[in-house]
Amino acid sequence: MAALRTEEFVVSMGPHHPSTHGVCRLILTMDGEKVVHIEPVIGYLHRAIEKICENRTYPQCVPLMDRFEYVTSMACEHAFALAVEKLAEVEVPERAEYLRVIMVELNRIASHLIFWGVTAMDGGAYTPFLYGLRERELIIDLFEMTCGQRLTYNYIRIGGVSRDIPPEFVPQCREALKIISGKMSDYEGLLNENPIWLVRTKGVGVLSPEMAIAYGASGPVLRASGVDYDIRRNDPYSIYDKFDFNIPTQPNGDCYDRFVQRLDEIRESIRIIGQALDGLPEGDFKKKISPRFKAPAGEVYSRLESSRGEMGVYIQADGTTKPLRVKLRGSSYNHLEVVPEIATDVLIADLVMIFATLDIIMPEVDR
Amino acid sequence: MTRDELKRHVESHFNGKLTPLDTGRFDPMFEVRPDDLLDVARGLRDDDELKFDFLCNIGAVDTGEHFEIVYSVASIGKSLRLDFKVTLSYDKAEIESVQEIWPAANWHEREVWELYGIDVKNHGNLKRFLLPDDWDQGHPMRKDWDAPDFVRLSEE
Amino acid sequence: MGVIKKVPYYLDKVPGGGIMSTSLEGILSHAQACSVWYLLFGTACCAIELMCTGASRYDFDRLGMIFRPTPRQADLIIAAGTITKKMAPRLRRLYDQMAEPRYVIAMGGCTINGGPFYYDSYAVEKGIDHIVPVDIYVPGCPPRPESLLEGCLNLQKKIKSQKLPDWHEK
Repeated sequence: MAALRTEEFVVSMGPHHPSTHGVCRLILTMDGEKVVHIEPVIGYLHRAIEKICENRTYPQCVPLMDRFEYVTSMACEHAFALAVEKLAEVEVPERAEYLRVIMVELNRIASHLIFWGVTAMDGGAYTPFLYGLRERELIIDLFEMTCGQRLTYNYIRIGGVSRDIPPEFVPQCREALKIISGKMSDYEGLLNENPIWLVRTKGVGVLSPEMAIAYGASGPVLRASGVDYDIRRNDPYSIYDKFDFNIPTQPNGDCYDRFVQRLDEIRESIRIIGQALDGLPEGDFKKKISPRFKAPAGEVYSRLESSRGEMGVYIQADGTTKPLRVKLRGSSYNHLEVVPEIATDVLIADLVMIFATLDIIMPEVDR
Repeated sequence: MTRDELKRHVESHFNGKLTPLDTGRFDPMFEVRPDDLLDVARGLRDDDELKFDFLCNIGAVDTGEHFEIVYSVASIGKSLRLDFKVTLSYDKAEIESVQEIWPAANWHEREVWELYGIDVKNHGNLKRFLLPDDWDQGHPMRKDWDAPDFVRLSEE
Repeated sequence: MGVIKKVPYYLDKVPGGGIMSTSLEGILSHAQACSVWYLLFGTACCAIELMCTGASRYDFDRLGMIFRPTPRQADLIIAAGTITKKMAPRLRRLYDQMAEPRYVIAMGGCTINGGPFYYDSYAVEKGIDHIVPVDIYVPGCPPRPESLLEGCLNLQKKIKSQKLPDWHEK
């Protein structure tokens, strides 16, 4: 029988594709069902946020930071506010710091719930999407009660937060956390032991710790590869050194570990919020900053742990009301750089799982 | 190691290639000449007490008088942070690529080339990245770039 | 027959029951409006609100709207999110691939006139109505799920008021 002759062909996956988490185009060179070469093409959501920030005063940049990574807007605003406060040495009142931590951790839980729902949907299971978004609505109600918005909050400002929490926030928050932590064992039982899910995710897309560090992967992706590094503990900012929480890690670095890692992190965030609610002090919730706020000349790169990894803001100021340069660093930028390295010689369905578990959000890549 | 100890260690161990600047408001900031960039980067990564193996960010700045490229690095094992920058003049805007030392630099340098026009030597893949495929209006992040529909807002 | 008492106002009631008469336009446009399938097209922040509207609390399925991943099976594009100059030809191509009758909802400030990126963004298309013809505009940044649901109900009203020859001339 004559030998089978195969040819490679090129498939363009995206930019509109239900599983590319935004608009990312992957040009795949395929040999049958196996992927031989991947080239990501990005820029379909490049909105020039950095150029716009050079044209706005510092307080006017804050709502624009929301749109940098809308699933965890609170962390983006916090990163910008931290950078400006380090530049200008602004002292933030303690109640504002506690409120910031509560909001950022609630946002982390909401983001991980979206991750869980959407990754399961990419793998073919539709139910977790409905459950995850139902629980997320409880958290969104809390945000709406505080600042009036469901998605892009404009809440954490330079010098504090924009308004105080109403009296019914604390009991409703505790109630919501009780419901969510009660449901966590259900969520883990839904997919973590499922034989089909295990075959699809175990051993797929293994990212070694050396490659993760070399390519700048951070956050849950780095911890799922076994590296014990969390900016909240190793390079503390705000008041995280007052709270007692664990940093979970996983041994292998495959898709299953990245999936389970974020569910473990939800539990840790619930602990942090409980401690913050118990210790919430009285006092001012913001320090008055004039709309013509001038930061002294200098530069700073400030980073924090958002739900996807390390989010960094580099600001260079020249003493006027507008920044000279704002450079934003999103964790998904480096994670997308890793995809061509770990997703060659896999089937196309595995590529979808790798892409989903790295939790890539396109506005962090394109800005 | 605290920030001041880090600053003294770096100054003494790199025989003058890293000069400290005082514009950094939180983490230590140094200046490097463009020719020493690869030696300094390799030294920072391989030094036993520092081990800066994680590249956080490469940002390019157009100050109106010259270009600056700012490298922010971190050490995972030792929990340290450092920034350093390279100053380039407008007519000699080219830099060596550091992607052999930190592979994460590949895409950051491609973006610097595309938005600022700074040539990166030994990169290998300087192609269109964030802008549309038929973009012909120059390098947008430069301070002297302008377009008919670009509105500069006033100070109010 | 109990059904006769509950029929919508535009169906003629025939004494004695058994036969209902209406115009062909009425019944076809009513059937079409109650089952508009939308294309899963979301680029930016409004896409998250679109997902929330399709999920448990605010449900799209009760209006008959299910998401479809391919434009060949969809009647509606809800353009949710900023459309950049790089993405604009792709949106036009998706619109061209849909079969008629087809509709477009522009969701969010960015698709109406550029939104927060109106003044000084060099890469954003300021509004999608010079790329595709838009039927309904839903303002907001991002619009609440209730606003989007109202936009879809207005679209249903618009479909129900269409005349037959309109479909071929679109």
